[in-house]
Amino acid sequence: MKYLNKLLLVSVLSIFMVLGCSDYLDINDDPNNPTSAPIEGLMTNTTFQTAQNTNRVASTTSFFVQHFASPNEDSSTDTHESVSYGNTWANLYFNIGDLLVLIDQANDLGAPHYSGTAKVMVAYNLGLLVNMFGDVPFSEGFSDDILQPSYDNSADIYDQIENYLDQAKAELQAPESAASPGNDDFIYGGDLVAWTRTAYALEARYLNHYSKLGEYDRAAVLSAVENSFSSSDEDFQMSYFDEGTSTENPWYRTALNNSNLLLGGWLSDQFVDQLNGETYGLVDPRIEFITEPAITEEFEGEYIGTRNGAGRGAAPEQGERAVLAVGSFYASGPTAPLLMATYAEMKFIEAEAALTVNATRAYQAYENGIRAHMEKLGVEQQDIEDYWNEPSVSVGSANLTIDEIMKEKYVAMFLNPEAWNDARRYDYAYTGFQIPANHNPDLNGQMIRLVAYPDSEDQRNQANVPDRTMLDRVFWDQN
Amino acid sequence: MKKSIRLCYLSILLCTCTLMIATQGYTQGSLSGTVTDSNTNEQLVGVNIVINDLNLGMATDANGEFEFTGVPAGTYTLEARYIGYDRYEQQISIADGEETVVNISMIESTLELDDVVVTAFGVERERRAIGYTIQDVSSDQITSSGSGDVLGALQGQVSGVQVTRGGGAGKGSQIFIRGFNSLDPTADNQPLFVVDGVPIDNSTVESNGSPRGMSNRSMDINPDDIESISVLKSAPATALYGVRAANGAVLISTKQGEPGDIRINFSHKVSREDVINRPDYQSVYGPGFGFSSSPDGFWPAWGAPYSETPDLQYYNNWENSMRTGVGIDNSVNISGGTETATFFASVSNSNNKGILPNNDWDRTSIRLSGELFQGPLTVAASANYINSGGNRVKYIDFMARLSYWNTSADVTDWRHEDGTMKSDSRDGRGSGRNPVYDANVNTYEDDVNRIIGNIRSSYQFADWLSLEYLIGIDTYSDDRSEITPGPLGLENEFVWSGVGGFIEETRINSRDITSNLSLNMTADLTQDLGMTLRVGNDVFDRSSDLIRARGESFVVPRFNHFSNATNISNDQRLTEKRLIGVYGDLNIDWQDIIYLNVTGRNDWTSTLPKDNRSFFYPSVSLGAVVSDMLETPEWLTYAKLRASYAEVGKDAPPYSTVGVFVAPSIYPIQGTTGFTKGATIASPDLRPERTTSQEVGFDLRFFDNRLGLDLTLYKANSKDMIIPVPVSNATGSSRFITNAGEIENRGIEITLSASPVRQQNFQWNLTSNFTLNRNEVISIRDGVDAITLGSISAYVNNPFMQLVPGQSYGAIWGTSYKRFGADPDSDVLDTSLPIIIGEDGFPVINEDDKIVGDSTPDWTMNISNVFNYKTWDFNFNVDFVMGVDKYNKLDNWDAAFGHTEKTLNREDRIVFDGVLADGSTNTQEVWLGQGVDSETGRNYGAGYHRNTYRGIIEESVEDASYIKLRNIGLGYSLSEDILENLPFRSVRAGVTANNILLWTPFSQYDPEAFNSSGSNLIGLVDLAYPGTRSLIFSLNFSF
Repeated sequence: MKYLNKLLLVSVLSIFMVLGCSDYLDINDDPNNPTSAPIEGLMTNTTFQTAQNTNRVASTTSFFVQHFASPNEDSSTDTHESVSYGNTWANLYFNIGDLLVLIDQANDLGAPHYSGTAKVMVAYNLGLLVNMFGDVPFSEGFSDDILQPSYDNSADIYDQIENYLDQAKAELQAPESAASPGNDDFIYGGDLVAWTRTAYALEARYLNHYSKLGEYDRAAVLSAVENSFSSSDEDFQMSYFDEGTSTENPWYRTALNNSNLLLGGWLSDQFVDQLNGETYGLVDPRIEFITEPAITEEFEGEYIGTRNGAGRGAAPEQGERAVLAVGSFYASGPTAPLLMATYAEMKFIEAEAALTVNATRAYQAYENGIRAHMEKLGVEQQDIEDYWNEPSVSVGSANLTIDEIMKEKYVAMFLNPEAWNDARRYDYAYTGFQIPANHNPDLNGQMIRLVAYPDSEDQRNQANVPDRTMLDRVFWDQN
Repeated sequence: MKKSIRLCYLSILLCTCTLMIATQGYTQGSLSGTVTDSNTNEQLVGVNIVINDLNLGMATDANGEFEFTGVPAGTYTLEARYIGYDRYEQQISIADGEETVVNISMIESTLELDDVVVTAFGVERERRAIGYTIQDVSSDQITSSGSGDVLGALQGQVSGVQVTRGGGAGKGSQIFIRGFNSLDPTADNQPLFVVDGVPIDNSTVESNGSPRGMSNRSMDINPDDIESISVLKSAPATALYGVRAANGAVLISTKQGEPGDIRINFSHKVSREDVINRPDYQSVYGPGFGFSSSPDGFWPAWGAPYSETPDLQYYNNWENSMRTGVGIDNSVNISGGTETATFFASVSNSNNKGILPNNDWDRTSIRLSGELFQGPLTVAASANYINSGGNRVKYIDFMARLSYWNTSADVTDWRHEDGTMKSDSRDGRGSGRNPVYDANVNTYEDDVNRIIGNIRSSYQFADWLSLEYLIGIDTYSDDRSEITPGPLGLENEFVWSGVGGFIEETRINSRDITSNLSLNMTADLTQDLGMTLRVGNDVFDRSSDLIRARGESFVVPRFNHFSNATNISNDQRLTEKRLIGVYGDLNIDWQDIIYLNVTGRNDWTSTLPKDNRSFFYPSVSLGAVVSDMLETPEWLTYAKLRASYAEVGKDAPPYSTVGVFVAPSIYPIQGTTGFTKGATIASPDLRPERTTSQEVGFDLRFFDNRLGLDLTLYKANSKDMIIPVPVSNATGSSRFITNAGEIENRGIEITLSASPVRQQNFQWNLTSNFTLNRNEVISIRDGVDAITLGSISAYVNNPFMQLVPGQSYGAIWGTSYKRFGADPDSDVLDTSLPIIIGEDGFPVINEDDKIVGDSTPDWTMNISNVFNYKTWDFNFNVDFVMGVDKYNKLDNWDAAFGHTEKTLNREDRIVFDGVLADGSTNTQEVWLGQGVDSETGRNYGAGYHRNTYRGIIEESVEDASYIKLRNIGLGYSLSEDILENLPFRSVRAGVTANNILLWTPFSQYDPEAFNSSGSNLIGLVDLAYPGTRSLIFSLNFSF
């Protein structure tokens, strides 16, 4: 009987221990993640992801504008195959979603400085999204209730972007803010003036996109340019970190990987030939700040690009073809800055907008754009002068055309998604520009205008996904 | 409760009185006898002896004797029933005042007719008393399968159960019972594993990145310790286990000591294995492109023929890079005891080398169990310590890199003298990644230390009442270490790691505690009506903690340590789950002919919102032994009908009810941590999901049990599933956790057993299991067309699996040939329609994804034969898996790389069979080569294989049906007369071959191949670990 008593005691105790504690089951709060995020944490991640998204988009669009070419023959992005850029798509949406949470938090907190900063980034990320994919979900997006958001017309989204920028300009100048960004802002470290100028810079960029349309407002573009960056020191860029591979500048990582034979970052012959004198008979001094010459016996000292779609052919994996070089300006090291919008770009926008109304202003802006970009890269002053003094560059204000502006801007926008917007506005009319080898036959020999919608949308939001091809265009890209 | 017990006492009393009154006044005699085993002449204890016409019954005593006194004179039928023996019947006459003696000799039943099966919570019940299907596997079957783990032993042995095993030392296997019943792509569709009543962890924690084939945790169990395995396939069988056994349960009973002399058993096993099935590789064309040779670097085999490049040599790198696998198993166990205490102790070691270089896996298991019987108290305890682990190889990468590898380079020559990697260039320098180098240098080791223990005690208050308590623990640590060395700093060195080398340490600590208390009551309500009732409480508590630390970019070469790493990051994942259940299990039998079982269970779970955390579900099953109710013909020995209905509830994964923000692993950066919204939209109002299951069946035995047929029809529907529905990223998220959808499995299971020969010296027993399961996704959620299970990367277009209403779980989706007259809205291909040929003369690809295959088999069957001749035993076992499609990624890759004989048509000119867009027959001849066709001058670019073939998923989906000689084995045991002169109790030597014969149309390594244990992507075989065949020699002897 003594066993029985003990056994009973243990059993009964264990039951009551379990049933008795009513909170025994209350353990479903996730111990791994918080249910809310500090506004600083959101600012940190959204600034970081804004730079990352720039890299993600440019990793694709740089092939379309033929800054890059694949070392492999018939590589799908290089030949405009229907590729699902689902990761880029998702990250753009995730970042905009986080920014909207940040804006809500800032409103609750009474922190217009946070809200203004976030709105500039919304305008920027949304621009990347629309210009890569065209019509996309926005007004019904970012909701826990609407799981299949409808697609908005890209022109309407441009109106929204304009709204965000207008609100941002006002909020960034608010005299009071319960909290303001500081070190949590990886882009400007809380410099509200710089953010305001970025808002105007983005406005200038987006308004300039209307160049093919009747509603193109040159005066508004010029006015926005005037309020944007006053020098390259204010460029919208983020310097990366030397704290592990995923915090490094991604272009540096591409270059380093390539040097370790994980091939990538190879330059297109279109781009290299413009810089090495092949196309224009003039060597652009910036070439040394972007790539390195061949070291193989046969081609030593030459800069050789790779034909898009053709792959490297018999060329070796290293030492012959021009690639994004480790240590060059864009891949100078782990902490290299990643450029998103620059003073040089503003000058080319100014040149383009002023071209038909004020030739002198346009020419001055054209010159300033070239000089600004060269200085940014660190080109010697004498080399800048020599380049500018070449007659094919300093054509004179009377002879300046859109071709010179776009030719120069093409170099200045290296590794910037904006380069593809320029190329489409300019209808890829760069001298010597060719359709890639092994080009996707579905495009009938025409250059890509928008990428395909990602597979995830076809699978999860099929009812709303517009039926279009890669030759259909974003609203501003109409003839 | 007390009231009902009192009631049943009362009724028993009443019955007895009636009987006593009824029997008075007649002339009487007595009946006595002894019951023995026909074979051994041992007395049988506890045999049920019944004088049918009088409703008199008793059990034989410790000497196998029985005696009825005061039996009314007359002629009666005497019946003896004993578990594991054929029923015995005899006419007897009792004369007044005389003592009739009947000695009964009982024959052991060959077909385990009235045997005992282990049911939920380890309760042993007579098979005839069960109203649902239950199938078991004995230790003999485990031994003869030669398998080194539990799942291998189950393969083909149980209907409705699909076990797939991959090659590879330590690589996990998968088991699915009666199809898939969750729409959650990440759901574990595998059953609950229970050892001696204690649920154990059978999860597979796959490695980060490309899978390395980690073990499923039931592999830790030493198969030599197993007495029997019982498989509960449906909700009626598992209802008592509740939420955790919603996919069925595998109950493992371990060997226990028996009273008597101490016994010692040794078992020794040696095995060798190699690849079962190789694609046909071509050695005609060398590396390069467009028929021109490029001998350096990763060039596909589209170059000049080897015959034109005498300086190049073809290497069959697939064959050369793999080795012969070796396994050595040793185990010893000691058992014995007295009438009051028994013990069982075992030590075993299993040492395995896989066929891929540097892949090995060891397991050491030490187990001790004992039982103590002290009057009404029984206490049993067992503890099992296991150490397992080995080095794992990224097999998908390995196979992929073999495909990339230039066939003119020897892959087994993998290292330069300075220790750096040799690539596939002639000088060995370059970027071609050598898979053998990767396997040897970049290591991933796991080391699992695990203890599974339990204490079981029961107290018998009275014949009819007992209390049982069981507490069990399963706890393990899994220490993993991944090292990819950094650069050696030498000139021209190829550096494998893009981050300068790294070390990643993973620590998993998991602990499951199960407590189960139950009260059992047995009572005969009347002479005819028996009842057992079990009520109990069940508590489950799981806690796991995963910590991962990673150090990148080593400063000093060859010093792979955190202190030498430049960048360090870490990560942690804590999980806790608790469950409380209260259950009741009532069994009522009438005259041992009709059995009714009703259960109910209520669960309270920690993972659902407070208001919805409690849920109840019932089950009812009925079995009727028709052959004992009706007059049946002589040849029908036994017939039972059964039917059951059950519901099972299921809770959510932990932490599904509240949305969170996540700090991505890149942080902190400069001391700052960033946050982003979690990718899942949580639901604060989740409800339990519910599976209802219905089953009917019969069990027939003919010709004195020499033929048996067991058939089950079932249907199970899971509704309101808690699933992460994928949503448009435009929501700012990727998934939404909600109750949605319905999935149905219905099928037929047939087990046929026969003993065609049953003689003294020669027996032949045959068992066949047949399974047919149909799976259909009934619905998902309004507005959600599909749930993506996942995809694997292939060239150009990726095949994927998605769940779409109206289709099977196993549907494979992808691009297909465009067909003339096809309905553009149909998801299903109509392959009878002609293929459309484009203006270029090549088939046109339909980019609109269609269902191009179904990876759930139409039917499966196993036939197993066991022959015994004197002391020889011989068995063979054949598996049939029919009507199953799988995507063969190797086929797709070879269209890119030109490695297989299938691509030898590259210089052919053909007219593709099909029609042009206008419906007219295609007549255009095209060349299948690359570049400019010398005859026509037409430039074919990258050629047919790369431009057309590799873009069409349909083309690489193959019939993966197979017939496998699963195992064939011969054993010889020393006979009694030889053993008499030897110090052994028994000696057996055996040889078994596994998977040695294979028929399949599937052209990859193994039609059974799968990605990794725990993956539901059953139809998309990546470049899987090649399947193996093995030869096993075994020796067992005991003292």
